[in-house]
Amino acid sequence: MASVSTSKAEISYIQSGLLSNPPLRADGRALHDFRTISLETGVAPLANGSAHLNIGQNPHDGGGGTEVLAAAKLEVESVDGQGEGVDGGRIVCTVSCSPSAYPHLSAPALDDLQHDMSTLLHQTLAHPSLHPANLGILAGKKSWLLNLDCVVLADAGNTYDALFMAARAALWDCKVPRTRGVEYKAAVAPGAKVSESGEMDVDRDPGEQQSGFDTRSISRAVDFELPDYWDEGEVLGGRDKWPVCVTLNVASSKVHYLDAILQEEAATPLRLLLVFSFPTAASPSLQAMRILGSGELESGQIREFVADGEKYAQRLSDALNGKLKEEDLRRGQKARDRFARR
Amino acid sequence: MISFASFPVQPDRGDARHSPDGEEPMDLDDDDFEAGGSKITWPGESITSSQAYMRGHGTYVENEEVVASVAGTIERVNKLVTVRAIRTKYNPEVGDLVVGRITEVQPRRWKVDANSRQDAVLMLSSVNLPGGVQRRKLESDELQMRNFFEEGDLLVAEVQAFFGDGTMSLHTRSLRYGKLRNGQLVTIPPILVRRLKSHFTTLPCGIDLILGLNGYIWVSKHVKESEQEGEEGFDAEAVYSNRNDFIDDSTRIAISRVANIIRVLASHFVPLTADILLEAYEWTVENDADARSLLSEEVGDALVATVAARA
Repeated sequence: MASVSTSKAEISYIQSGLLSNPPLRADGRALHDFRTISLETGVAPLANGSAHLNIGQNPHDGGGGTEVLAAAKLEVESVDGQGEGVDGGRIVCTVSCSPSAYPHLSAPALDDLQHDMSTLLHQTLAHPSLHPANLGILAGKKSWLLNLDCVVLADAGNTYDALFMAARAALWDCKVPRTRGVEYKAAVAPGAKVSESGEMDVDRDPGEQQSGFDTRSISRAVDFELPDYWDEGEVLGGRDKWPVCVTLNVASSKVHYLDAILQEEAATPLRLLLVFSFPTAASPSLQAMRILGSGELESGQIREFVADGEKYAQRLSDALNGKLKEEDLRRGQKARDRFARR
Repeated sequence: MISFASFPVQPDRGDARHSPDGEEPMDLDDDDFEAGGSKITWPGESITSSQAYMRGHGTYVENEEVVASVAGTIERVNKLVTVRAIRTKYNPEVGDLVVGRITEVQPRRWKVDANSRQDAVLMLSSVNLPGGVQRRKLESDELQMRNFFEEGDLLVAEVQAFFGDGTMSLHTRSLRYGKLRNGQLVTIPPILVRRLKSHFTTLPCGIDLILGLNGYIWVSKHVKESEQEGEEGFDAEAVYSNRNDFIDDSTRIAISRVANIIRVLASHFVPLTADILLEAYEWTVENDADARSLLSEEVGDALVATVAARA
């Protein structure tokens, strides 16, 4: 991060540009402009949900920009008190950085960076307030473990915003397979029809017995099966709640700007990460806050920054939601086209 | 303003393949080499027979055929066939003007990143020391090398010689060379910078350009004639200064605009010369395209179309 070497003259050029009136940025953007963000969901066929995001890609040759790949993969885990599995499922987020994105960093420094990013992403997304409702399979027995893996393929500034957007898109895209509990039937039931004891009730004549998917008997279910169904499953619960991150680059107490490029990051002493969640029909909630860099921040200023950050996050979130819905439509269209071609 | 876009659509691989049956190795014999001024090849394409020709850079021999290992233009000198890659690191030649960045300070030398395969070397003995052009190097100079150049500093220099391992040695023994300030750096593929009579150019909008042959381009505020090296107003003390001069807003806007023009032209693979840049700049002024709008696809395409038509 920001450790791309920059000369003092460049740093002061960027800083004086930002502080001049009107503020001027090196690439001509306004202070609160983002570069163009490219987004595609469903890029990893083996993942339950995935997204590919690029901020600041050159529209002509497709080069440059901060590039992040995120994939959510579900895994079944037993809830037996020995492992880490918990009732209702859990989320584990990992971020890895490609060495080619940070050629100047040594391996331990890269590990540190990955760890920092993983920690922030994990602490924010695995927070109980955001936990999706449908990650449980069998109460007290099995649950889904959601592994969210992000890879930073290239860094051209503003990695945290890109990470959170990619994570949100991958989680939005994530489909949880439908499950059906499987249970053993008691051998003797008074006045009951004949049933074979101790056998699983899979592949039975449906007229003869009840479906295993019966919520009243869920406690008796010992295992589950994946019914064959036309879609990949239901969407992960609470997908409107996944947060977005805005990084406020604080150039002075008056001036802050968004979406810094690497050189600007190097010239900015203080960066404030604000992670907001916008659940529908509810007020926004601040999910996380981090301060990066050596600069100082007075507690009185934080309130203003949070208020400003909320506005930017709202805009970012609206734009992202629009794009994600568009992606859903596009992929629905593509699937239909492919089906029709067959 | 936040806008989302889709990734450019990849061509469908099934359709985009060349016709499978009509594909046979392009056999070039002597006539082809002589006739074709510049032939473009791609990795894996067999160029010619290895019995008649020698393989050079960018090629390898397989099944007695010379095969290209990079995408680029085929070049031939007598019986030696080489491929010059389109996207490559900078290949230095003695006398080239380069813009570099200090990566390391070592005893009596600096290491300089010049977009080449290896870091270049700038010896303390090949820089101009402050206070007299012909001053002898002192021991105290060795101890205060960071006062001249420190890590991260940008400088313009000339390739002086090569060491045994192919590392280039730079020199800044001219008042035109030295530390860079008052501007910003743009990086483009080195192949797009042509060899020009002078790599220092001035645009009439009050901008100086240094076109480094290594693809690093420095866009900065114009230095007045009277303050240039050798003139009355030349400030010898400022040679190693880290402080920028005052830059007014219009100059800043012009610098951003020129930098974005260079980025747009480079992304369309247009070779860069001062004339093309000047035309492009005039076009943006006529069409009222500010630096930000140049980043959008339509304006960039229109700019390149105009420049290509006039060139």
